[in-house]
Amino acid sequence: MTSAITVRKRVAITGLGLVTPVGNDVATTWNAVLHGKSGGAPIRSFDASGFPVHIAAEVKNFDALAQIGDRKLLKLTNRSHRFALAAAEQALRDAGIRPTDADATRWGCTLGAGMMGVDFSDLAGTQVHSAAEGELHADLLLTDGPANDPLAFCRSNCAAGLSLITRHHGIRGFASAEHTACASGGQALGRALKLIRRGAADYVLAGGFDSMISPVGIAGFCLLSALSPDNDTPERASRPFDVSRNGFLLGEGAGFLVLEEWGAARKRGAHIYAELAGDGNSLSSYRITDSPPDGDGPIQAMRQALWSAGATPADIDYLNAHGTSTGMNDRSESAATKAVFGDDVRRLSVSSTKSTMGHLIAAAGAVEVAVCALAIRDGLMPINANLREVDPDCDLNFVRDTPRRQRVRMAMSNSFGFGGSNSCIVLRHPDETDALVAKEQG
Amino acid sequence: MNTPRIVITATGAVCSSGRNPRDILAGVRAGASTIARIQQWDVTGWPTTTAGEIANFNAREMVDDRKLHKLIRRTDLLGLYAAGRAIDDAGLATHRDTLAPDAAAIYSDRTGVYVGSGSGNFENQYDYFPLLATAKGSLPEFGRELANTVNPMWLLRSLPNNVLGHIGIKYGLKGSNACITSHSCSGALAVIEGMEALRNGEADRVVAVGHDAPIEPQMVLYYYRLGLIASETLRPFDAARDGSVFGEGAGALVLETERSATERHASILGEVLGGGYVSEATGLLAINDDGDGLARAIAAALADAKLDARDVGMIVAHANGTRASDASEAAAIRRVFGNDAPPVTGFKWAFGHLIAAAGILEATVALAALAEGVVPGVATLRELDPDCAGVPISAKPQAPRSKVAMILCRGFGGTDAALLVRAA
Repeated sequence: MTSAITVRKRVAITGLGLVTPVGNDVATTWNAVLHGKSGGAPIRSFDASGFPVHIAAEVKNFDALAQIGDRKLLKLTNRSHRFALAAAEQALRDAGIRPTDADATRWGCTLGAGMMGVDFSDLAGTQVHSAAEGELHADLLLTDGPANDPLAFCRSNCAAGLSLITRHHGIRGFASAEHTACASGGQALGRALKLIRRGAADYVLAGGFDSMISPVGIAGFCLLSALSPDNDTPERASRPFDVSRNGFLLGEGAGFLVLEEWGAARKRGAHIYAELAGDGNSLSSYRITDSPPDGDGPIQAMRQALWSAGATPADIDYLNAHGTSTGMNDRSESAATKAVFGDDVRRLSVSSTKSTMGHLIAAAGAVEVAVCALAIRDGLMPINANLREVDPDCDLNFVRDTPRRQRVRMAMSNSFGFGGSNSCIVLRHPDETDALVAKEQG
Repeated sequence: MNTPRIVITATGAVCSSGRNPRDILAGVRAGASTIARIQQWDVTGWPTTTAGEIANFNAREMVDDRKLHKLIRRTDLLGLYAAGRAIDDAGLATHRDTLAPDAAAIYSDRTGVYVGSGSGNFENQYDYFPLLATAKGSLPEFGRELANTVNPMWLLRSLPNNVLGHIGIKYGLKGSNACITSHSCSGALAVIEGMEALRNGEADRVVAVGHDAPIEPQMVLYYYRLGLIASETLRPFDAARDGSVFGEGAGALVLETERSATERHASILGEVLGGGYVSEATGLLAINDDGDGLARAIAAALADAKLDARDVGMIVAHANGTRASDASEAAAIRRVFGNDAPPVTGFKWAFGHLIAAAGILEATVALAALAEGVVPGVATLRELDPDCAGVPISAKPQAPRSKVAMILCRGFGGTDAALLVRAA
């Protein structure tokens, strides 16, 4: 295979927006993530006291109206859409560029969207009216409140988040939502990269958003025993790669990035965080909930991302691991990392910021790529919080206790999803990219 | 950079009109609609009562593995069926069996899966109704009784990407992948993104599949309340049209680089020439009257395929039968093709609107129609709406003017897709 980059356009990350369990903007989130301030706490958005797990990493003190400013628009949103609209607005503001009438068709939007969800109050309302004994009586739906409320339908539709963002910002080019569970956000960024490379868009607003911290969402993960049951120590519940890890901490939020063709971004004098340099994705095809212990599946995604970026393992300084804090994921990812990096694995700094933010599901990949961009900007790598005793199966070079100060030439972000989809995104320091561009132009 | 040719080596399809593209086409050509009274629940007293349901639906006939049935939903069964027929017809897995172990591993890694999924339904959420009834409004009680009442696999059954994961596991495919959840354009977009993965060297062959099963009471009711459902009959572009009708099913294509197909001596049914996909930025339900988005999608697809408008031999319109969509679709066709549009048809009148599966299933039927050299008539069309003037659509069959078909697809969120395929 020839190197991908000799024939393809390059993509600049020029704007970031974050709404996470540890901060409702980029600066607050970044500071918390760097130092491992956990977002884990008892669930406050509903009474979860009877659930086997009643902790999560919730977004806190989020003022949707202040961030988004459009009261009418908010009527059409569910909780995750509000996170998405806020993070998208932050990213566009940060980039200092927005779609205009003249270039709206050259703007794309690619989203990693959460699973379709009916608001719990609507579901409970329909149960009381149309399924009083537990079985649905379809004829009762005809007089059911939520089942006849167009707004309830609009909030639940799979295209709702996409339609809100494209309309609010006037994006008239390629606009897609996709869902591969925890890999969604990463795959949406990969799609954005490919759109600009193939000339289908000049600018892409890309991101992920999700909120499953609801009675039904928590229930779904509880039934699978996927969550850490450490109800008494929520801030320690997420401890990826620790020998005592026992499940993930459910988070929520959104991460958005503004992406532009590199030359155009440089020409307009934009601040460039990093090059979005490579994307790889693969299927584990092993089990719906796991990758195999030997890392097969993630290995192919990581190698493909390196190929796509025109990079080798020696070029990567930081890996933001998928690191969910579940037994099998962390072992599989460690094996994959060793297989891909070989001797370079000793030099590679690794951390999972899910140790701090929890697992943002469809938003995770996008949020964590934003974290990688910040690590490159500041030459600082965030810690893997709560790592007391490293699992011998996961003996990587973790950033522990304090952030690691080191210039990051390239960073890598992994996201692996239920269903077996694996996404890997590679970023490059802007100075490194400028040097490559200069060399290419010779 | 030379764009490699992307060939189609197999198709699969299932809907109320049949279980493969040729049978579905035969029904369409015969003027036979399979839209009928809904059987899945008692529609007595309902304001709308028809849909294109698959009659005598039997899960075992869709997916043989009974253990899997507890882990997936009706829509997933349909997707796995169509994908399975296409994969088997293409001989994708059997070809791998002829390779040495190292080559077989590379082959698996270089075979991708691109899915368009309906994303979710309401009935799956009803699994919580017995628990809600028990808990009587108490959330702590809901939490305590959870494990005694709800299927532990509930979340896995609900995943929008089940078809992707289970195709991968069943056939050992490990390549590049996506699961698009962009409403009615999802299936068409799976084809476009699958094609792009082959063009850019991410994969050597991909299975593209779209699937959906939207016929459930709450979904039908919402679409009805939004004014999108016909009282009885779907009459695209007709002066008396009054809405769409749901169908259910799946379509699948096996796409390969020409080199991959040649190396495995696969028979070639046709090729995917290009695609275009845009947003109208109009919100969830609205569309532009002037056909803006769809016209741009068509232009983008033609440019992508390096074709002129006059090269298109037939158009399979979205033709969903709603007042607004058909009129703006006609406007888009006029904008791009002027007074020289090729014969136009649509298929939804016969088996309903398959939502996420619509575009990809219609692509498989379009390929079958091109192979038979016919543009099937729209049997429910009586009088062309003056608002749709200039669209050469007919109740009678027409002759395609080339081997190229353009499939149009429109979804919620103001999204428009155009796909160009050529039959061998």
